[in-house]
Amino acid sequence: MGAMTTTAATTTPVVGFDQVSKSYGSVRAVDGLSLALHAGETVALLGPNGAGKSTTLDLLLGLKQADTGKVEVFGTSPREAIVAGRVGAMLQSGGLMDEVTVGELVKLACDLHPKPYKVGDVIARAGIGQIADRKVNKLSGGQAQRVRFALATAGDSDLIVLDEPTTGMDVSARQAFWATMREQADQGRTVLFATHYLEEADAIADRVLVLHRGRLLADGTSAEIKAKAGARRIAFDLDGEIDEAPIRSLPFLTSVDVSGQTIRIQSTDADATVHALYGLGVYPRNLEVAGLGLEQAFVAITEAEEAKQS
Amino acid sequence: MKSLIKLEITRALRNRKFLFFSVIYPSVIFLLVSNQTGTVDGTGLSIAKYVMVSMASFGALTAVLMGNSERIAKERENGWVRQLRLTPLPGRGYVLAKTASAAVVSLPSIVVVFIVAAVVKDVRLDAWQWLALTGAIWAGSLVFAALGVAIGYLASGDAVRPITMIIYFGLSILGGLWFPSSTFPTWLQDIAKWLPTHAYAALGQAIEQSQSPHAKDVTLLVVYFALFAGGAAWLYRKDTLKA
Repeated sequence: MGAMTTTAATTTPVVGFDQVSKSYGSVRAVDGLSLALHAGETVALLGPNGAGKSTTLDLLLGLKQADTGKVEVFGTSPREAIVAGRVGAMLQSGGLMDEVTVGELVKLACDLHPKPYKVGDVIARAGIGQIADRKVNKLSGGQAQRVRFALATAGDSDLIVLDEPTTGMDVSARQAFWATMREQADQGRTVLFATHYLEEADAIADRVLVLHRGRLLADGTSAEIKAKAGARRIAFDLDGEIDEAPIRSLPFLTSVDVSGQTIRIQSTDADATVHALYGLGVYPRNLEVAGLGLEQAFVAITEAEEAKQS
Repeated sequence: MKSLIKLEITRALRNRKFLFFSVIYPSVIFLLVSNQTGTVDGTGLSIAKYVMVSMASFGALTAVLMGNSERIAKERENGWVRQLRLTPLPGRGYVLAKTASAAVVSLPSIVVVFIVAAVVKDVRLDAWQWLALTGAIWAGSLVFAALGVAIGYLASGDAVRPITMIIYFGLSILGGLWFPSSTFPTWLQDIAKWLPTHAYAALGQAIEQSQSPHAKDVTLLVVYFALFAGGAAWLYRKDTLKA
């Protein structure tokens, strides 16, 4: 009996979405989303603005109810998981109580958590010792973010959920924040964070979920996603009649477009592609190599996925 | 839960403007108005006694109505209510903490008026009357605490302050807290006697007249409480689904 329970516990995903959809009027914010997060993973939820990241996190935290499908956290409802103290979360839209000090607010969060840490430790870890006596309504954006982080980590939660946590932070604060976050992950916690920075996902996460228009576009290691989304655009002109066949056989291409004398290609490894291009013995003029914005990269991936399906 | 109540109280006691209007201001009006001698028509109570109950009720009303409605509306908007939903605090815990802290602030606003009345205006009552007055006015303020919560979930942003003000002054004046409703024209008296504030002040006046509160007033307050609390609960649930 006991052994069976243990087995069940180890196979229950930390977070499980089963065909979850959520619409606002005619807009499908989340569209048939299925995913499973496992214990100890650090997962980035990556996508452009409006991809459905915040709605996905709201569903995960029980702040919104799915229209269809099922959301489970530690095999229970999101609310039950929160009441058990297993989830700590930091929302973009999460406000703070006015007219109290940072220290008082952190103490409240610790008091409310079933498995609280010491107030002083939480404050030290979030790096807000210097502003502990300050009134909450007198904080800068970056400071408020760190206070939100302190509230999310007031107790020994097994899952930490962060929605665009570094918004409003400068570069050094950003680095300090992720260093703290990595400590959390190293202690065996599952961490899920939403971001629209590919670099952040790449540096922190060991698994990246790419969300676009409410659907899961890609699910893989950050290296895999980077290869897909990190594509570059190469454009150049060629004189005379253009022989397309050798150009199409260049390495690492994802798409080729020839219009007039101009050739536009996308490559997952621009260095290798350009090197091979010169190897063809042609003389490209007006050569441009540019990074694809994340949003364009998503569109490229979407088109590739759709082409595969049809 | 206890810690949220404690923090809400700390915060309320720190807000000087709020304390002034709910604790000091009613006593100041009491001193200004109670200068006249004589009795209030139809009650047999001296003006000082009559105004004392009116102002104690008014102070309690201010404390429970003004603070809650605006804070709740603001905290719904800035996302603090959402943040609290990510803690094990039960949903109703937030509303209970707000109501409890309002009750803590309303008690001094009642007692201060009594002390000023007894010391400055020589108002004398039996010990049981003082206790019963305090208890009745304090308990009665729960009706308006529920109303404050309902407004906080109904209105948002810039609308909440004017709405609260209109209801607050409307209930105070029409309910006869500022001037005895016996000075109103008859048609207005007919409206006034159905208002919760009128029934609220009548509780205290009955005690001052050494009577037990009238069944009609108690019933009226209970009905209003059920109405306001039910409305607040319904609006709260609606807000939870939306957020």
